[in-house]
Amino acid sequence: MQKASMKQRIKNIPPVAYMLVVIIIVFSFMDPHYLSFSNFRNVLIQATPLMIVAFGQTCIVLTQGTDLSLGAQVSFVTVFTVFLAQHGIILEVAMLIAVCTTTLIGAVNGIIVAKGNIPPFIATYGMQNIVNSISLLLTAGSSIYFDSFTYRIVTETTILFVPLMVWVAVLVFVLVWIVLRKTKFGTNIHGLGGNREALTLAGISPVKCLIKTFAFAGFIAGIAGVITLCRVESGQPTVATGWEFQAVAATLLGGTSMREGKGGVTGTIFGVLLIQIIKNGLNVVGVQSTYQNAIIGSIVLAAIIIDAVVRIRSEK
Amino acid sequence: MGETILTARHITKLFPGMKALDNVDFDLKAGEVHILVGENGAGKSTLAKVILGAYKAEEGEVTFDGEVVKFNGTKEALEKGIVAVYQEFTLVPYISVAQNIFLNREYKTKLGLIDHKRMEEEARELLKSLNCEYIDVKSYVKNLSVAEQQMVEIAKALSFKPRVMVFDEPTATLSEREVDSLFQQIHRLKKEGIGIIYVSHRMQEFPLIGDRITILRDGVKIKTVGINECTNEELVNMMVGRDISQVYVRTENKHEGVALKAENLYDYHDRVKGVNLTVNKGEIVGIAGLVGAGRTETAEILYGIRPMKSGQIYINGNAVTVNTPLQATKLGIGLVSEDRKKQGLALDESIALNTVAVSLKKIFPKFFISNKKIKEVALDYKDQLRIATTSVNKACKYLSGGNQQKVVLAKWLSFDPDILIFDEPTRGIDVGAKMEIYSLMDKLASEGKAIIMISSELPEVIGMSDRIYIMHEGHMVGEVQRSEFNSEEIGARMMLGAGGAENAES
Repeated sequence: MQKASMKQRIKNIPPVAYMLVVIIIVFSFMDPHYLSFSNFRNVLIQATPLMIVAFGQTCIVLTQGTDLSLGAQVSFVTVFTVFLAQHGIILEVAMLIAVCTTTLIGAVNGIIVAKGNIPPFIATYGMQNIVNSISLLLTAGSSIYFDSFTYRIVTETTILFVPLMVWVAVLVFVLVWIVLRKTKFGTNIHGLGGNREALTLAGISPVKCLIKTFAFAGFIAGIAGVITLCRVESGQPTVATGWEFQAVAATLLGGTSMREGKGGVTGTIFGVLLIQIIKNGLNVVGVQSTYQNAIIGSIVLAAIIIDAVVRIRSEK
Repeated sequence: MGETILTARHITKLFPGMKALDNVDFDLKAGEVHILVGENGAGKSTLAKVILGAYKAEEGEVTFDGEVVKFNGTKEALEKGIVAVYQEFTLVPYISVAQNIFLNREYKTKLGLIDHKRMEEEARELLKSLNCEYIDVKSYVKNLSVAEQQMVEIAKALSFKPRVMVFDEPTATLSEREVDSLFQQIHRLKKEGIGIIYVSHRMQEFPLIGDRITILRDGVKIKTVGINECTNEELVNMMVGRDISQVYVRTENKHEGVALKAENLYDYHDRVKGVNLTVNKGEIVGIAGLVGAGRTETAEILYGIRPMKSGQIYINGNAVTVNTPLQATKLGIGLVSEDRKKQGLALDESIALNTVAVSLKKIFPKFFISNKKIKEVALDYKDQLRIATTSVNKACKYLSGGNQQKVVLAKWLSFDPDILIFDEPTRGIDVGAKMEIYSLMDKLASEGKAIIMISSELPEVIGMSDRIYIMHEGHMVGEVQRSEFNSEEIGARMMLGAGGAENAES
């Protein structure tokens, strides 16, 4: 019994985890300094904001959707918080207001998607543009600043050699994991992707449930925004451009499927780490940034194709 | 059998353009299995859904336990103990068996989180009462077999402590052994005093489990009879509404030459296992069998949708390869698919466009097309097939099932294939349109076309075919000539796959 479940567990490890190991080995051969504690600490810190966004994106992907406004929401939080602080609101309060705002943006996304029965891709793309424009309007196109010691507390306080911001990501992970595994809401998220009819027949409203999911993702994007603000110490309207896609890629790499509500948030960690480790490794070995995106794109494609091939084989 | 626990009086349910139920009465006693029978579209499922609260009837009332009930949705019916085991499973694939059973009624710990342990314990007990303790309550539903999923579905229904259970075509996807164990469960539930409504059109099953039968036809209740009070033939006559010989008109015509021959067909998914069949010009060949017997899959191989692992197809005596539908149409094969909404029609497009969908190249050999010509062709077929519509520019989604099927037929007629495969051609359409489709099939055969007809409706296969192949679990288990047709024997072979194996070999 124990052995069987162990085997099952090994089987449940997404292929991306193995890929991660392979890539770490490759990089460590290419550069002897690569395998160092400080380098991995760096990777972890760099990965943190995207990691949080990807946790939110995972929930959306589980419902067979994508939220393309998440990156814009992160940028917006940095801008809006600084903007509010400049206008006399205490920074911490401003952060809270910003997070509430993105939760609301998420809810609006959900209402459009669920009530209008509009593909999430389109609805959230529209929202992305609106939110981006607001950020640009608030900053007149450049960065805006507000000095505070709070940023440093988040980025530089360390607990067990790891900065506070990484612990925030851990907390968000635990939160999302519990929501998905241990709450009705999470069960329903799996149901939205797996069998909406089943939810309706059980007396659950898929519409409400979708709205909640998008709002939840917005809330998580808000937290990612606060962390990002602490790292860049300014309001930057384009700081998180493209993160929504990286988050989708990380989610899919982590084994969450666009169909049937399959997957979970654990795999997403590996997905984000893979993307970040490749980026970092390419920097360490000195690959030009022009090539970096192409390499990352190829690896993401390769991982997804391998996954698809494995799946098709197992179905045959 | 106990007292009456549920009655429905004068139920009338309207759907756009049709009366699905017309003044229907129905009653159910505690501890009985009451079978609802009728052809597709007769209103069986609609009546069941009215009782379950999924549909609201325009007229009539449902009395449960002596009081009139008006349900707003299935949840209120559930709370009263009226539950359904659906034909299509209503399970969420990637949550556990226990979570599925208690969906939206989750037990919670003091912290407000889901109490997996308690749910799993109770789920285990429910499954044990069904003799299914081998199903792991922690496993994802996705990892269970179809029969296991059905047991989970029943366990879910039982968790509501039901008084009335509705089974909607429960055996459609089960193998023979699984059907046996399902019937055992139904007998057990019956003994516990649960009233069971059993929707089905498989007559072979009725004596095994039923107590009373109510026959519906075109939304009207024909009669309620005790299980031993009428013969199968009388049942069929009541279902169809007239003597079968009047519904199915066949002209005798010569069968000259083999149009299509398939040898030893296998697919990659073990759905089709060594199928042999031949169809002559001018012949209608029926393929009978249960859902899942491999009939549709065989058609898919012949039409190039399903990859063929091994085997050989001959057309007019020449060995051919059919890897894509395009190749199939070039070889003169057409398929009227089982699911006309998904596979047969572009629902949002006009009747005219659907009519010429396959024959576009034939009508316009040059590069450009003309809308005027398309409309002419469509109008021609509209008149020929009596498609009821105000305009051929109307989108197909606005047509009734019967008229949609006629558009599918128009599509193939305008292409004029030599071999035409009909997969469940009369599913979900009314009797009038059915008869028109039958007479059209007869006409095509007399013109020398080779026709393969796949159908789950035994009367239809028997009425229309010159020859019938019987399929069971991927094998051809029998071949019967028109002169030897006997519905009980074919029915038995469809169910059991037995008795005809030697026949198929020879």
